[in-house]
Amino acid sequence: MLGGGAAAGAFGSLLGLGGGILIVPLLTLGFGLPLREAVGVSLVSVIVTSSASSGVYLRRRVANLRLGMTLELFTAMGALAGGLIAFLLSEELLAGLFAALLLYAALTMLRSPTGSVDAGDDATAGSPRERSLSGPGYRVGGLGRGAAGGVGGGAVSALLGIGGGPVMVPVMHLLMGVPLRVAAATSNLMIGVTASASAVIYLLRGEIDPYVAGPTAIGVFLGATAGSRVAHRINIRILRVLFVAVLLYTAFQMIRRALGLAG
Amino acid sequence: MTGLPPARPATEAPEDASLEDAIARLLTLGTYAAVALLIVGVVGLLLGGRSPLDGGPRLDLGRLVSDLAALRPDGFLWLGLVVVIATPPARVAASLVRYLARRERGMAVIAFLILGIIALSIVVAIVSEG
Repeated sequence: MLGGGAAAGAFGSLLGLGGGILIVPLLTLGFGLPLREAVGVSLVSVIVTSSASSGVYLRRRVANLRLGMTLELFTAMGALAGGLIAFLLSEELLAGLFAALLLYAALTMLRSPTGSVDAGDDATAGSPRERSLSGPGYRVGGLGRGAAGGVGGGAVSALLGIGGGPVMVPVMHLLMGVPLRVAAATSNLMIGVTASASAVIYLLRGEIDPYVAGPTAIGVFLGATAGSRVAHRINIRILRVLFVAVLLYTAFQMIRRALGLAG
Repeated sequence: MTGLPPARPATEAPEDASLEDAIARLLTLGTYAAVALLIVGVVGLLLGGRSPLDGGPRLDLGRLVSDLAALRPDGFLWLGLVVVIATPPARVAASLVRYLARRERGMAVIAFLILGIIALSIVVAIVSEG
């Protein structure tokens, strides 16, 4: 549990996924936990990854605090809605939704990115709001699409315990023109708040087991701390390939579960 | 949307750097405190001969205090988990205070609304548990 948590935390902090994308399969497929209980523990792990790595990313000026806070307003709305819907859906349907989301995120990341906009090209391009959210060397665009993606990301976070990273990283990178490294770091910052909004619901409904959450969170903390410290040394292409490979593998496992072939 | 911040150049202002440093410190402190509590809880659990797969108790705020007073592992585990979950909202609250002090109304409104949604989540969870 500690080792699996560490691996999930390292991947999560590097890729802006929060680690939940690996924690849910680890606990359901590896330890036989019911999916909903695994989602509760995963939300805790997502928060640990977010807090542990965001401290580093903010100090290194990689995460965009203004953009993250603006989008997390919408992800928190989605998380509230998703947290309420989650208890009405069957485990197989949740697993199917999880797999569909992972496949979508993987395919999106394989497409050619729109790339970042050089802030020096035209200082007046984009709305004042979008310019206010831009960072050094890139300009943020498509705020409306980002907000809509944020609501969706928040909802899937609450439904699946993954923090919304698989949605928010592609949304920021492909739709808003944010560089992948900045998108991953900003996603890491945001998913803590998104996961908190839904973790509270799971906590009060008794869906978080402290005995499982404790060791998993310690492992995630160790992995996330290490991951965020080496992130700047990792080639962006390797980061993208890692992201897609992890998404595809996890999607495969979840499809098996949705079809009743696993667990 | 009317609550968004005014335009700023695409380079970082010194006050933004100061806020980001303060937020980074808060996140680091919260995480280290939570993980320290969780380590004490897990070690206590294992020393007591219990397995993480035994199934732990639900959160009971009344029992949490007595568990901590009696140095029981359940108390440390639950307090650690509560600190974990409270750290991101504390980060938003700290940002709200800073943005208000700097009279950045747009960002302050955003921070306030985020906290409002988290509070609403808690209310909805309590009401639906009934």
